[in-house]
Amino acid sequence: MKDIDLVIEICGSAGEGTISAGEILSRFMSGQGFEIMSFDSYPAEIRGFGKCVAHTRLSSNCIYSPGKLVDVLISLNDGHSISQLSTLKKGGILVYDSAPLKPHGEDKSVLGWAEPGTVTYGVPLTMLANRAAGNSRGRNMVALGAVVALFHMDGQSFTQSIQARYAKKKQVIIDANVNSFLEGFNWTKKHIEKTDSISFDGVIMPAGREKLIINGNQLVVRAALDANLKFYAGYPITPATKIMEILSKELPKNGGTLLQTEDEIAAIGAVIGAGFGGVRAMTATSGPGFALMTEFTGLSVMAEVPAVIINSQRGGPSTGIPTKTEQSDFNAAVLGGTGDCPRIVLAPIDTFSCYQATVLGLYLAEKYQTLVVILLDFFLSNSIRNIDIPVKPSQVFLDSNIAPTKAELENYQRYKVTPNGISPRAIPGTPGGIFFSTGLEHDEFGKPDYSDKGHLKMTQKRFDKHSFVLEEAPAPQISDFTGDMADIGVISWGSSAGAAQEAVMLARKDGIDAVSFSSMILSPFPEKALVAFADKCKKILVPELNYSGQFANFAVHIIKRPVERLNYITGRPMASEDILEKMRQM
Amino acid sequence: METIKSDYLDEKLTQVRDMDFLRYRSGDLPTWCPGCGYFGIMDAFYKSCRELELKSENICTVSGIGCSGRTPIFINSYGFHTLHGRSIPVASGLKLAREDLSVFAVAGDGDALGIGGGHLPHVARKNIDITFILFDNSIYGLTKGQSSSTTPYEMKTNSHPVGNPDGPLNPIRLALSYGASFVARGFAGDPGGMKDIIKQGTLHNGFSFIQILTPCVTFDKTNRTWKNLKENVYNLGLDPEENNMENAMRAAENEPFGVGIFFQDKNRLSYHDTLRHLNR
Repeated sequence: MKDIDLVIEICGSAGEGTISAGEILSRFMSGQGFEIMSFDSYPAEIRGFGKCVAHTRLSSNCIYSPGKLVDVLISLNDGHSISQLSTLKKGGILVYDSAPLKPHGEDKSVLGWAEPGTVTYGVPLTMLANRAAGNSRGRNMVALGAVVALFHMDGQSFTQSIQARYAKKKQVIIDANVNSFLEGFNWTKKHIEKTDSISFDGVIMPAGREKLIINGNQLVVRAALDANLKFYAGYPITPATKIMEILSKELPKNGGTLLQTEDEIAAIGAVIGAGFGGVRAMTATSGPGFALMTEFTGLSVMAEVPAVIINSQRGGPSTGIPTKTEQSDFNAAVLGGTGDCPRIVLAPIDTFSCYQATVLGLYLAEKYQTLVVILLDFFLSNSIRNIDIPVKPSQVFLDSNIAPTKAELENYQRYKVTPNGISPRAIPGTPGGIFFSTGLEHDEFGKPDYSDKGHLKMTQKRFDKHSFVLEEAPAPQISDFTGDMADIGVISWGSSAGAAQEAVMLARKDGIDAVSFSSMILSPFPEKALVAFADKCKKILVPELNYSGQFANFAVHIIKRPVERLNYITGRPMASEDILEKMRQM
Repeated sequence: METIKSDYLDEKLTQVRDMDFLRYRSGDLPTWCPGCGYFGIMDAFYKSCRELELKSENICTVSGIGCSGRTPIFINSYGFHTLHGRSIPVASGLKLAREDLSVFAVAGDGDALGIGGGHLPHVARKNIDITFILFDNSIYGLTKGQSSSTTPYEMKTNSHPVGNPDGPLNPIRLALSYGASFVARGFAGDPGGMKDIIKQGTLHNGFSFIQILTPCVTFDKTNRTWKNLKENVYNLGLDPEENNMENAMRAAENEPFGVGIFFQDKNRLSYHDTLRHLNR
């Protein structure tokens, strides 16, 4: 059976149905049994005629990254699509409107800017949409019809995907969309002579398990609800807002409470209040909100109150670039704040692990009575994957507070120093469990204690807890070595990990002896594993989406040798192609 | 003469404690200056808990930073000494997560109206069912005598040695404007009056705002002294049953030394009740 691995982009203006066309295409492909990874980029402004791009990679194999170069560009808007041509592969395919409402000269048409060698198919999108539905709104569907016809996809099933997408709309709208699709499909069959080689003929994917088509934000919510979240406080901020919006519907159904606060300080404050009350609580934010929350993070650690913060990173610093992806809050999450402040930081390496990280985060926060920061980014929050339906966490993960025994409640020491650093925690309402909690340094009863010995003892206790956390976190993903030593070891974290792992696989096919290391837990960091890995690599490469190499700097301190860096702040996700290119130069 | 055994004394003391309001006092001795008005507030607090027969384990006291921040240490309750200005958000989260608990938030004038001033309007408009006690001594005490948000205009302080250039906030007027559903003022020298107010505030189903006028005996020798307060404080005599915002506002404006309940709206739904109402 032949393999399919295609990157398709639809480019248009806001309001032209670009994003919904991409969504229908992704859902259709998932239904056909392909792996999909898709994301949209759109302007930060609410209104206007900004450029929208729906990017989808579909493959008959496992997908690790969204793909940098595009096989098929579908242009709904010539002006916007011209700049999109730069990522079209050599010999790639361009589908464009051959009879736009206002004809434009060659210098303004996407066709005029296409590289020689590009396979171009002109379809009169506007005209066909008008013919199908009496207006041009269905241009996106006409374009999809053309693509389905061109690549010999299953038109019948595709029609059903369109019907499913608009199922809640009026029949007139469903008909208009389906008819536009068919118009494009039939016209293309009749008038276009195919000159490319992409074809779905004979590609039959095995009927797979039922898939969940979902993005990182949605998965975080699903995980949080599955992991017994009962309180959420938050303040709207791109790209984390959706987490609050979905929870506002779902949390009350699960017996929880959601509070929209006046700012992010109040949000984390309320989360810590709920945590003090013995209830699983979290908040979600992005860079500027995380900066405010930093005020409270020390209290969570000092007073040993569970708190979970999701930080979906965007371009920074300051307000930065709200709608672009970046991995530049590593320092803030892992090292930020004042004092000697151990905290747990998890960074999902792909969409699926957003679920794992959220479940684990809520569990660890409650068990270790500490702060957990989960680093997502704009790409993980918004990119869509089709994944296997996650298995719900077992009971162990749902209630992890270690409560004091009856004997321990006699002369109860809330901050008792124990072998694993965890002091049994009484929940308000427990008779005999009354204690005082403070952000001041304190003794084992919780009473303020400024003595040098006391400060050292309690600081050690807070750090000691951390050494046990690593045992409960997933081990780093390390690819197999072919020999004793590898030429290049690629160390990655967060959403860049997929691209790094894919680049290593591609490099091996190219004869480069490469291996990869990626860890979902960043604090405490699996230092021993990293040192052992680095010792077996001649050269080390650290690709990440920030300018200063925040994680590379961190890794250098652990492995005590220089590393090669690959840094991008383009606002686009990490591309395996770029990492591979860098490896070739090393 | 027969000596009294200490065991006997201990036993008697325990009996007295159990019977009396002192059971709400923790074993820790307050660190406040001798003569501080806060001692009176504590007494009123213990007594109101006693009269309401609250169970200690169901009381949560949340504080910020400042002299008032230490309050939870001296109360036999689940106490949480949080961050400067942030007792309200923490208490809000706690109450929303645990409706079964009686949640009190305390703050000083700098804590509540300066650094934490942004939280007051929102807890008031949300009407979250916590009792908020403002220990208003019109000065920063713990940092030793700087101007606060309620320090009078032109008063000399350690941060404004030639006189405070800022006008003071009027906490009662603010609370009324923010839509607090229970607004009252007490005086640290009047434990009985304070006790009644704290009791009413605790019983009120919604956000209760209670300002306590109290002197800082160490850093304010001229303005809000025991002498000045005792000479000027009087009972407002407003009837909260009337639920009259106009009278309350007028009193807030013109009666800076009047104590009692300014305003109470018993019909307004608390945040919890609103959620139940909306989700029904």
